[in-house]
Amino acid sequence: MRSSLLKRQLAAAGAVFRERHGAEVAAHVAGRASEYAAVRDAVGLTDFSFLHRFRVPAEQGLDFLDVLVAGNVPKIRFGRVLHTFLANRDGLLLGDCYVANNDEEFIFLCESIASDAELRGLLQTAGAREAGIEDLTDSHALISLDGVKAWDVVKEIFGADVLGLPYLSIEVYPYQGASVRLIRAGKTSEFGYLMLAPQSVAPALFDVLQTAVASRGGRLCGVDVHDDLRLEGRFFNIQAEGLRVRDPLVLGLQWMMDLEKEKFNGRDAIHQRRTEGLRRKIVGVAAEPGSEALVTGARIFHDRQPVGEVVADCQSFVLNRRLALAVFPVELAYSGLSFRVGSAEGPRVNTISMPPIMPKSLTVKLDEM
Amino acid sequence: MMLNNIQSTIDRRARIIATFKEELIRRLNLPYTPEDLHEDISLLGSGLGLDSLDALEIVLCIESCFKIRIPDENVAILRSINTVVDHVLEQQAQKGVA
Repeated sequence: MRSSLLKRQLAAAGAVFRERHGAEVAAHVAGRASEYAAVRDAVGLTDFSFLHRFRVPAEQGLDFLDVLVAGNVPKIRFGRVLHTFLANRDGLLLGDCYVANNDEEFIFLCESIASDAELRGLLQTAGAREAGIEDLTDSHALISLDGVKAWDVVKEIFGADVLGLPYLSIEVYPYQGASVRLIRAGKTSEFGYLMLAPQSVAPALFDVLQTAVASRGGRLCGVDVHDDLRLEGRFFNIQAEGLRVRDPLVLGLQWMMDLEKEKFNGRDAIHQRRTEGLRRKIVGVAAEPGSEALVTGARIFHDRQPVGEVVADCQSFVLNRRLALAVFPVELAYSGLSFRVGSAEGPRVNTISMPPIMPKSLTVKLDEM
Repeated sequence: MMLNNIQSTIDRRARIIATFKEELIRRLNLPYTPEDLHEDISLLGSGLGLDSLDALEIVLCIESCFKIRIPDENVAILRSINTVVDHVLEQQAQKGVA
């Protein structure tokens, strides 16, 4: 099992660890509500080193990356980041990916639900060796900073220049003699930054970040709270609905693919299913306040018939109710409808339009800071 | 499948979704069919990744298609196709449109 370069600091802070697809992750550090509030009201610091990370030489590796992922890699402009996915030969999801065009290199980040061996096998088959791919997974830490005040922390550390970074972009900043690749991304609806830091400076940077975050009322977080934050913001979560459904079409991820691309992993299977037509679709669902029945795996009923299944769930601290994603037949996959959950006489739930919350970050104008 | 009591709700929403998606694809020249666009897809930022000029086009599209006004502070309305449709339904209900 892979361990993080930041394990010592995480353990010292009281993190509880568990395994996630071959990597040891800090699942939580404090209570879920406390970590959630840190991100929504201030800033949360999370070790995202469970993601696989690679450096791919631009010229040598462009074709390799383009036939690997579903999005269009040659179309990524310099300094920008593509959010796409990696599928297997059957067109089923294996990874949620960022591909960043960083001048003479691509940075490829992959949140994988495959085993390390399966992922490495797939990369080798696709020509990783010939592409000159360099695995940074053991030599670099990946640190995530998320929250309405996240911009203020990165500004303090890397300078005011970071405020000009648009969403899904990459820039390199010097830090204690090393280069830290800073990616503006995030899947919480608040400001989000990923820092790819080499081993030589990662622990020191993490310490500085912890201090800066605490001074703004934020805190160290585990990865579990990100499941709640992603669902509330309706960001795709490969660890939740992705793992349970795996078909990118049912999950509504067509926007992560280039439908005109002639070749990528799983393309033929995905196009075959697209041609046959969508039969099921994912929809947001909300429970009444106080109801606990909306949990992953629960069935959803209409007119005494089971019609859907919950594939991801969370407690929304903003809405004070349980939220979920459920898969329905397409003829019922609309928001504004009422169903029962658990049984034909179970508690009432309603399909809803996503995202159901208005994050504080949407009211912050960075260009006026 | 028996849909009886919810069919009219579905039909009303489906009509607005179909109109909006077709106009969105046409005006912004998006490389998708209506079926490819999930109703919860983020319109700005992630998802379709449209910019502020596109946002203006979306506002014009909604206003001309559905004969309603979109307020200047429209960030919450423009978050997804579904949030746009919610706003259209709300405005139509206020006007008494069936």
